[in-house]
Amino acid sequence: MNRNSLRSLKTAAAASFALAAPLALASPAVAGSTASNELRLGAYLVFYDSSADDLSGPFVPPGVNLKVQNVQTLYAAYIRRLSPHVLVELAFGWPPLTKTQGKGPAALGSVPYNGVVISTARWVSPTLLLNYEFGDPNARLRPYVGLGVNYTTFIDRQSTAAGNAASGGPTQLSLSASVGPAATVGLSYRIAPHWHAYASYAYAQIESDLTANTAGEIRKTHVNFRPSSIILSVGYSF
Amino acid sequence: MRKLPWHCGVIAATLALAACGGSNSPTSVQSASTSRGTLIENPPLRLASLDAATLQADLSANATGAQLLQLVGTPTCGVDVYYFKFWTVGGAGEATESSGALMVPTGAVSACSGPRPIVLYAHGTDTNKATNLANIADPGNTEGALIAATFAAQGYIVVAPNYAGYDISTLGYHPYLNATQQSDEMIDALAAARTALPNTLSSATSDDGKLFVTGYSQGGYVAMATERALLAAGATVTAAAPMSGPYALEAFGDAIFFGHVDLGATVFAPLLTTSYQHEYGDIYTATTDVYSPTYANGIDTLLPSTTPISTIFADNLLPETALFDSTTPTVTIPNDPALSQELTAALAVPSDPTNPDTPLFDLGFGTSYLITNAYRVSYALDAAADPDGAVPTPSPGVPLAASPPQQTLRKAFYLNDMRYGGWAPTAPTLMCGGGQDPTVFFSVNTGTMQAFWSATPAAPLISVLDVNATPSGPFAPIQQAFQQSQAAELAYYESAAGGGYTPAQAQQLLVEGYHSAVAPFCSLAARSFFSQF
Repeated sequence: MNRNSLRSLKTAAAASFALAAPLALASPAVAGSTASNELRLGAYLVFYDSSADDLSGPFVPPGVNLKVQNVQTLYAAYIRRLSPHVLVELAFGWPPLTKTQGKGPAALGSVPYNGVVISTARWVSPTLLLNYEFGDPNARLRPYVGLGVNYTTFIDRQSTAAGNAASGGPTQLSLSASVGPAATVGLSYRIAPHWHAYASYAYAQIESDLTANTAGEIRKTHVNFRPSSIILSVGYSF
Repeated sequence: MRKLPWHCGVIAATLALAACGGSNSPTSVQSASTSRGTLIENPPLRLASLDAATLQADLSANATGAQLLQLVGTPTCGVDVYYFKFWTVGGAGEATESSGALMVPTGAVSACSGPRPIVLYAHGTDTNKATNLANIADPGNTEGALIAATFAAQGYIVVAPNYAGYDISTLGYHPYLNATQQSDEMIDALAAARTALPNTLSSATSDDGKLFVTGYSQGGYVAMATERALLAAGATVTAAAPMSGPYALEAFGDAIFFGHVDLGATVFAPLLTTSYQHEYGDIYTATTDVYSPTYANGIDTLLPSTTPISTIFADNLLPETALFDSTTPTVTIPNDPALSQELTAALAVPSDPTNPDTPLFDLGFGTSYLITNAYRVSYALDAAADPDGAVPTPSPGVPLAASPPQQTLRKAFYLNDMRYGGWAPTAPTLMCGGGQDPTVFFSVNTGTMQAFWSATPAAPLISVLDVNATPSGPFAPIQQAFQQSQAAELAYYESAAGGGYTPAQAQQLLVEGYHSAVAPFCSLAARSFFSQF
């Protein structure tokens, strides 16, 4: 099998996939060794630089705030290549158990607060990015940048025992879903014809209104998560 | 922590649907029932959790709290304060929500957890509609701090409602000194608190079945009414300690209408007429039937209020002390010149120079007065026709008037008088107060009840403590402490640091603060009394 026949085979495969794929955004324009589809798996290291308004509502002393702890989770993405330089990335992380800790007074009365894990939640946070890869399509090392949109919703929201103690009883949490811009910069490294390694940095704007209901008393805050992520992944293209 | 089902994670992650977001920590269960005594949020909200050291530090942060601790002792227990909401009834039997404080002792000391007795506490008159005894962080909540330090921090579970018409209650008035409603509400608060106890964050402390009933001022009256209602229902009352309450309402009302105006009368009057108007509907057709035109408009909804009472006085919505017109009425009863003359004299501004209370009574008269002469005369005529057994001249057994009065306010006093129904406590009962109380007169209230029960089989169960009397008996140290604190306060007012008042001014300040000053001493006496059982 020569190079040309291999290329035509791949083109055919890609074309047939494109017909079936839900993400058939454009007719594939495949060049060089780049295939139309790729799946990436890796590690998602999320660093929050969260900020929140002080909690407001009945019987809340001044200065009661919170902070989101960093998490690591599994990264997965589907890539659809539109051209040798342009691709669409749909990325998501396995919903990680994200912990929120109290920030503010060391104790509320005699109940420890500052630094204590008060709640946990799992986020479902897909990001759709339009990436541009620089350099020759056949180069081993290619930098890329991307811009897109992030959607985040929070599931499995739990107030911990320590959180309940601080809030004054069993507490129901709700967090509004967030839609915001996302951006990424990264490097791709070709290991083998179908295999690439990636290292990237991503940032998304994620904000949510947090509402806590304890025995009918509603306390609220607005949380700006400011997640920076380091993503290390391996991709298989086909 | 509940784990996310894997399929849910995959689906959610892939499709980013919220459909799988259902597993959230629950909040309290809200009761659908609105029947009396139903706890609304179960468990209720804990507003504060203070260990003994933190409670001590918090209370010691101000002079009043430090003095209180010196009197009632440093906390043995921590205290968890719950803010509970419950269903009760208004003055006309209407369903309404109310709220209150449930204070639970905590800590490793054996007297602080496990089965503990309950103190059911009724608070004193408060013009502040936002009163919430559970909000222990509020520096204005001195009564909450008093009961936390005196009872909860020494191992008693405290149940204290805020009363219908206060805080979250949507009842548009407060059923003030309505014996039926106020005792019903106390019993409802107790039922709701007992429902809450096993579900709180402090469930290591439980109800041991002993029940002590107490309260101060208005709450002293409510405590006595509650003791009566609980005993009538066959419920346990281990002991009761009503403190400084206006128990003998008809006798007290007669004394006031005959010119012995108490300190605070202009505040108590609208609370009373509004309450009884809702209960009986016959106090007035229009508020001008009772009140001078200066104040009549809106007086039926004036109190309790979120406006500070000082502002209410400053805005001239109420006179500060002038309950009656300083131009007193001339009573003319056809064909009875003797009675006419007697009543005219009885309604004159008190002027007896030998009575040390005369200056106090005289504060109750002014040109910008609250109650009209016509109304005062109608009350006085009824009292003259059908006198109370205790006022003006005590008759043996100090009974209520033989038949219900005709004058509607006096009839309301009669029906809500603690002598009504001829009951007597069957549980040990301590009535504590201060003999010189200018707000709730001691002899006409506590003295009347003591005399009323003295010839009944209940007599051995009744104890009376006047913290102002010559120290003697089991409460002598409390009497001494009270009298020393009064002397110290008087000296303070006369000192440069205390304002450098003249002896007469200092004495006046002492009189103004007297009713409140008695409260911690009587509360300590109540605790000491309860500790015997």
